[in-house]
Amino acid sequence: MPDIDLYGVFVPALLVYAVLAFGVSLVLRRLLARAGLYRFVWHRPLFDLALTVVCLGAIAAAAARLT
Amino acid sequence: MSRLFRFLGRFAVTGALLVVALVVGVALWDYYLDAPWTRDGRVRAEVVGVAPDVSGLVREVVVRDNQAVTRGDVLFRIDPERFALALRQAEAVVAGRKATLTQAEADLARYRQLSDNVVSQQRLEAALATEEGARAAHDQAVADRDLAKLNLDRSEVRAAVNGRITNLDLRPGAYVATGRAVMALVDSDTLHVEGYFEETKLHRIRIGDPVSVHLMGGGVDLSGRVESVAAGIEDRERGASANLLANINPTFAWVRLAQRVPVRIALDPSPEARQLTIGRTATVVVRPADGAEPRPLGGLWRGWEALKGNLAGQRRS
Repeated sequence: MPDIDLYGVFVPALLVYAVLAFGVSLVLRRLLARAGLYRFVWHRPLFDLALTVVCLGAIAAAAARLT
Repeated sequence: MSRLFRFLGRFAVTGALLVVALVVGVALWDYYLDAPWTRDGRVRAEVVGVAPDVSGLVREVVVRDNQAVTRGDVLFRIDPERFALALRQAEAVVAGRKATLTQAEADLARYRQLSDNVVSQQRLEAALATEEGARAAHDQAVADRDLAKLNLDRSEVRAAVNGRITNLDLRPGAYVATGRAVMALVDSDTLHVEGYFEETKLHRIRIGDPVSVHLMGGGVDLSGRVESVAAGIEDRERGASANLLANINPTFAWVRLAQRVPVRIALDPSPEARQLTIGRTATVVVRPADGAEPRPLGGLWRGWEALKGNLAGQRRS
């Protein structure tokens, strides 16, 4: 499914995946912060960016496998 | 010392995730920017503009809108009376010329039987000329009659190809003129998909590669093969000039767009493929001749499988 239908507007799936990935990484960040795991992180913004990219890849791969 | 170790540990955690993110990012980049698939594809077919070969009033429209027709089927009939009358006229002329010819032949035969003493050479030649003239006039009348017959035949307009009539807007009583198309006939034998690929992806497309086609809105998925790549596209930077010299637009764009090159996909025969509506949007995915369909992180996944296979092999040996 390369397009996602938003009430007649077909947007590239990647856009939707990116928004989803950002949401997921926000939640993950909260959880990591609450568990105090950021103690083991050297450069927090860099780590967060990498986390978002990995989430995006995981979501895109999962979506391609499901459809 | 322990502070140094703590720092190295934190550095390693961040660095590991960063490396993973880089690999994932490169794989995503490859899929979305370089892999040979496009959302910009169209279902296409040749369209025949059905035009009558004779002018006249439409008497009867035999086909319905969107009806499938085969080659030779009657599509509509033009009022044939005028052509029938023209045929009768032409036949009458043929009969008249035939009579003249018969008389001229008889005259010639008679003059030939007479001896040179009775008829002059000049008179004989005149009879011969009259007979040849009458024969030519008769031949012309026969050709005119055949033309009238052809016109009468052509007052029934027939389908030239197999396909479907579409956007039919012709009613009995309309006046149609010779050579002006009045209905569209979609040639279903030429149904194909054209993928408009960015020129940067062309080097990963080979003729004969298997292709899957997903129509917008889902439902129907089709398969096919790459049939050909367009031989040329318009050069937009080059304008017309009055004096036959090259005229290139002096642009220096920082941001450039890859041009789209049409790649023609031949569809495998299937009932769905015959029923396609031309003009629909399709996503065209080209696979390498023996490879899997490109997927996001697909290369990564295959690489991992290969690595696992290698490791397992090493452990066994």
